[in-house]
Amino acid sequence: MASATIAPALKQPAWTNDRNVLRVLAIVFVVFVYVLPLIDDSTKTMDFMTKAMIYVFLGMGLNVVVGYAGLLDLGYIAFYAIGAYTCGILTQAFHIPQWAAVPGVVVACIIAGIIIGGPTLRLRSDYLAIVTLGFGEIIRVTARNLTIDAPDGSPMVRGPSGMANIEQWSFGGWSFTDGLNIGGMFIREQVIFYYFVTTIALVLGVFGISRLANGRLGRAWKAVRDDEDAAEAMGINTYTTKITAYIIGAVWAGLAGQLSATQQLSIAPTSFEFLFSALILMAVVIGGMGSTPGVVLGAMFVSLVPNLLRNYEWAENRYLYFGILLVVVMLFRPKGFWPATDILPWSSEKIHKWLTARKAAKAGKDLIATEEDTYE
Amino acid sequence: MSETPRDTLLEVRDLVLRFGGVVAVDGLNMSVHAGEIVSVIGPNGAGKTSAFNCISGFYRANSGSIRFLGQSILRRQPSTITKMGMARTFQNLRLFKEMSILDNVKTGAHYRMKQHWFDALLHTPAYGKSERECEDDARYWLDFVGFKGDTSMYVTALPYGEQRRVEIARALMTKPRVLMLDEPAAGLNHSEKQGLIELIRRIQALGISIVLIEHDMGLVMDISERIIVLNYGKEIADGTPDEIRNDPLVVEAYLGTDEDEEDAE
Repeated sequence: MASATIAPALKQPAWTNDRNVLRVLAIVFVVFVYVLPLIDDSTKTMDFMTKAMIYVFLGMGLNVVVGYAGLLDLGYIAFYAIGAYTCGILTQAFHIPQWAAVPGVVVACIIAGIIIGGPTLRLRSDYLAIVTLGFGEIIRVTARNLTIDAPDGSPMVRGPSGMANIEQWSFGGWSFTDGLNIGGMFIREQVIFYYFVTTIALVLGVFGISRLANGRLGRAWKAVRDDEDAAEAMGINTYTTKITAYIIGAVWAGLAGQLSATQQLSIAPTSFEFLFSALILMAVVIGGMGSTPGVVLGAMFVSLVPNLLRNYEWAENRYLYFGILLVVVMLFRPKGFWPATDILPWSSEKIHKWLTARKAAKAGKDLIATEEDTYE
Repeated sequence: MSETPRDTLLEVRDLVLRFGGVVAVDGLNMSVHAGEIVSVIGPNGAGKTSAFNCISGFYRANSGSIRFLGQSILRRQPSTITKMGMARTFQNLRLFKEMSILDNVKTGAHYRMKQHWFDALLHTPAYGKSERECEDDARYWLDFVGFKGDTSMYVTALPYGEQRRVEIARALMTKPRVLMLDEPAAGLNHSEKQGLIELIRRIQALGISIVLIEHDMGLVMDISERIIVLNYGKEIADGTPDEIRNDPLVVEAYLGTDEDEEDAE
C-alpha cells in the first residue's frame, strides 16, 4: 500500500462532512436489504443475496484484522473452515440443534486464533502474511484428508467429499425448513434464512464491529496499526491488542462458516482454497481498509458481480478482471474506494482540491492579467 | 506515599547497551528526582536516545540496573513502564497518522479506562461513562498544551509545531510521574520554542519530573535545573547549567581538542 498520507482538507463542504448523510445512506441500505424479498424472493436472488451478506459478515471480521489492527492475514478462510466443520461435527455427533453449536464454534475459533496467533503475532508485516498463508493451506489440506465417523459408526466427515446433511437452524420444534406463516403470508425457508443471515451480518458484523472500533479496544487496534512503538509507549500492550484483533476476526469468520454451512447444508473442502481468502481480502482492500461502508461495499461487490454476470461468457474470467480492477483501484484510489479517512467517498479532499485548484487557477489568471497590464 | 522534592524517582546505574561491537551506552549513571527538569545533552551519537530507549523499555540493556519508583524496570515491557508512570515522546514525531487528534490523545488513557470490549459492543453505561471521562481528559490536556482548533481533524493536517503539542498532550494523558521528551524543540521556530519552554514549566508545576534530550543549548540552559552530559555513551558531567557551561570536559566534548578533531563529530 502506498504509505503517502493524504491530509484531509481543513475546510470541507459541509454536507460531505456530515455524518447524517452517512446515516441516511445506511438506513437506505438497511431498508433495501430488508424489503428486497418482498420485491423478488426467487430462490436465485435469495441465494446470492444471502451469500453476499455472509461475505459482508466475513469482510467485517477481516476488517478488524487487516483494516484496524493492520495485520495482513492471507489465510483468513481457515477460521471459516474451522467454524463450518465444528458446527457440522457438533450437530451430527451429539445431535444438538444448530444454535447449541454456536458456543462450540466460538470456542474452537478462539483456540485456533490463539494457536496460530500466539507464536506468529510477534512477527511483523510480510512474515506474518507468509505464516497465515501457510496456516490457511494446512487447514485446507487437513480438511481434505479428514475422515471422522459418527458415534453410531456411519461416516460423518468424508475427506474430499466433506460433510453432507448439515442440520438447518431450528428453535424448539420449529425449523427454518417449516417456513413461517404470518397473517396468511407464507415465508419460505430461503427467505427466512436470508433475513436471519442479514440480521446477523448487520447487527453483529457491521454495527458490532463499528462499535468495537470506536471504543477503547478499537483505538488500541488503530494505534498499533499506525505505529507499534508509539502505541507501546502509550501503555498499550501491543501483543495482547493484536491477539484480541486476531481472535475477534477468527470468531467472526467461524460464525460466517457456520452460516455458510447451513446455507448449503453441506461442507466441501474445495471451497476453502486460497482464492477465497484473497477474495475477502480484496473486498476489504478495494472497499477501504478500516472503513465500514467501504468494506460493506467491497464485500457486496466481490460477491454480487460474479453472480450478476454469470450469464455472460466473459464473466468466466472474472478473476482476471478483478485483478485488473484491483490494480486500477490501487493506482487511483490507494486507500480504497471509500477510505476510512473520508465520511463519504470522493468527499472532502477531492472536492476541496478541485475548489482550491480552481481558485488558484483563477488567481493565476488574474496575476497574469495584471502582469500583462503592467507590461502594456 | 508522601515525598519530599528530592526523592529519587528514577535511578540508572552502570547501564551498558551494545549493538554488536558498538557500545552505545557505556556505564551510564543518572538519577531523576521528583519535580525537577533534567536535560541530557551530548554530541550526536553520544547515546542519548539509546539511553532513553533503554529506560523506557524499547531496548534491552546488556547490563546495569534501572530502578523506577523503587522497582527494577530493566526487563519490563514499554507498556508496563508507561503504566508505572513514565511517559515519553519520540525524536521524530510518532503520532497515529490515521486517527483524529482527539483519538490520538485518547489512546493515552488506554490502560486506565474502565471499559471492556463488550461494553463497546453493547454500549453499556460503563462505555458511555468511560468514553466521556476519557474525552474530557483529552480535551483538558489538549487545552493544557495550548492546542486550539478542530480536534476531529487528522493529525497529519496539522502544522509541525502543533503536532508536537499533540504528542506532548498524548504523553501527559498517561498520567506520568516522569515525562521524557526526546528533542521536543527540533524543527520549531523561535516563538514556538518560547511556547515550549513555557509549557515545560507548566508541566513541572504539576509536579511531573521532566527528562529532556535537546540540542538547543539556549533552551536547555534556560529551563534545566540539572544537566547531564553524555559523550561516547558515558556520563562526563552532571551539574547545574552554570557548572556545565564552564566544565572543561564538556567544552572538549563539544568543540574537540587538537588531538581528536576528526573524532569530535
